[in-house]
Amino acid sequence: MKEGSKTELIRIEGVCVAAGDRSILSGFDMSIARGEKVLVKGRSGIGKTTLFRLLLGFRVPSSGILYFEGRQMDAVLAWDIRKRVAHISQDSDIGEGVVRDMLEEIFSYNANKGHFDPEKLRSLLAELSLEEDVLDKKFENLSGGEKQRIAIIISLLTKKDIFLLDEITSDLDAKLKRKVVDMFVGNPAWTVLAISHDSEWEREGVRVIDLEKLQEGAGVCN
Amino acid sequence: MSATDITLTGMVFCFLLLLIPVLISHHLNLKLIGSTLEGAFRMTVQLAFVGFFLTFVFELNNSMLNIVWVLIMVIVASYTVLKNSQLKYSSLIIPLVTAFAVTNVGMLLYFNSFVIGLDDLFEARYFIPIAGMVIGNSLRANIVGINDFCDQIQRNESRYLSSLSLGAEKYEALKPYLRKSLRNSIRPTLANMATVGIVFLPGMMTGQIIGGSSPLTAIEYQIAIMIAIYVATVMNVMLCVLILMYRGFDEYGTFRKDMLRGA
Repeated sequence: MKEGSKTELIRIEGVCVAAGDRSILSGFDMSIARGEKVLVKGRSGIGKTTLFRLLLGFRVPSSGILYFEGRQMDAVLAWDIRKRVAHISQDSDIGEGVVRDMLEEIFSYNANKGHFDPEKLRSLLAELSLEEDVLDKKFENLSGGEKQRIAIIISLLTKKDIFLLDEITSDLDAKLKRKVVDMFVGNPAWTVLAISHDSEWEREGVRVIDLEKLQEGAGVCN
Repeated sequence: MSATDITLTGMVFCFLLLLIPVLISHHLNLKLIGSTLEGAFRMTVQLAFVGFFLTFVFELNNSMLNIVWVLIMVIVASYTVLKNSQLKYSSLIIPLVTAFAVTNVGMLLYFNSFVIGLDDLFEARYFIPIAGMVIGNSLRANIVGINDFCDQIQRNESRYLSSLSLGAEKYEALKPYLRKSLRNSIRPTLANMATVGIVFLPGMMTGQIIGGSSPLTAIEYQIAIMIAIYVATVMNVMLCVLILMYRGFDEYGTFRKDMLRGA
């Protein structure tokens, strides 16, 4: 996919999202190419998470259009995107019960069948400084940092090449932050959109999108 | 041999018993005096009405009339389930009535033809009381099942959405909640079945024995009806939650909050 590295993956045109009479996102444009690494910044409440929810079809814009690989967003495409994209949400509320059972459930989905690789799991656990016995603990009893790392591992095991990462390094120590950012930024084939307040993500090769600035000059929503 | 009629004096003695909960409620300020009296009053009026009506229905024993009566039971049961949930009537009443009718009436016909071996499947004496028992139990289980499912899906919305973003189909992502709701709604029926005879003598059996049947006949019927109730309940709750899974979510797979009352 050398040639594909410059093709446009995501395009957003004049998208508005409103909650009640408050507007969350107001008419902005954005384009993301395949293989690009993007850091989405901006103060809390500016709509960063909403942007991800739009891309996954969990929210429908009140106006404006989203394109994914040139196809216009609709319900069919949303289901397709969810199978193509690895998303890690901010609240790490991805499941409950023993971690091993959670993994089993996730890899029983049709879209993930056959993707489970125990070797890879072992090496990722080691790489992110987790003991293997974490698999036998209950997810809800793990610390914030452990939850984040489990979510990261799951997203990597599903073998996707597009990542939507919502504050996945906030509860990690400096060394782990660097490691995680290395992992995601290092693979040229991956398209990565990260929401983060960590300066670790501001590196060479990572484009910064400031949602606040982006919306300043944007059109008005009606 | 037939049961002794309860005399009017007997009935008065029976109603006098209500003084006990009324006094307790008064003393502990439970604020249940009104509900107790209203409950007893409603029960009396409803049962009196049904008593006269059933006398009429049993004497006539017209299949069509019996079927209509059971369908009314089905409709009232479905309505009661929705009334006890947070869901709007309009979008769910028809599928729910259908689910109740298919599972309960289906079970009833199977029961009457293969288990009891009746010539007239719709004979009032069997069709109506057994329908009442099966539908009544389904009703209780459905209230638990549907409420549980709605609660879970609202409480775990972000977890549900993250399952979707991990590549799950709607059905795959909802399966854990379906599982939980089914378990919670079926458990009481299952516990009933496992303790029957030791902890309590069920109403039908008691009724048959008082009515003059031998305890052995009463037990035969009780065993058969408990299995019928259990199976009908499982099928009915399953079907109702599946309907909710189908109707309660939009094409993007998000829970339709507009299905909730007050939305």
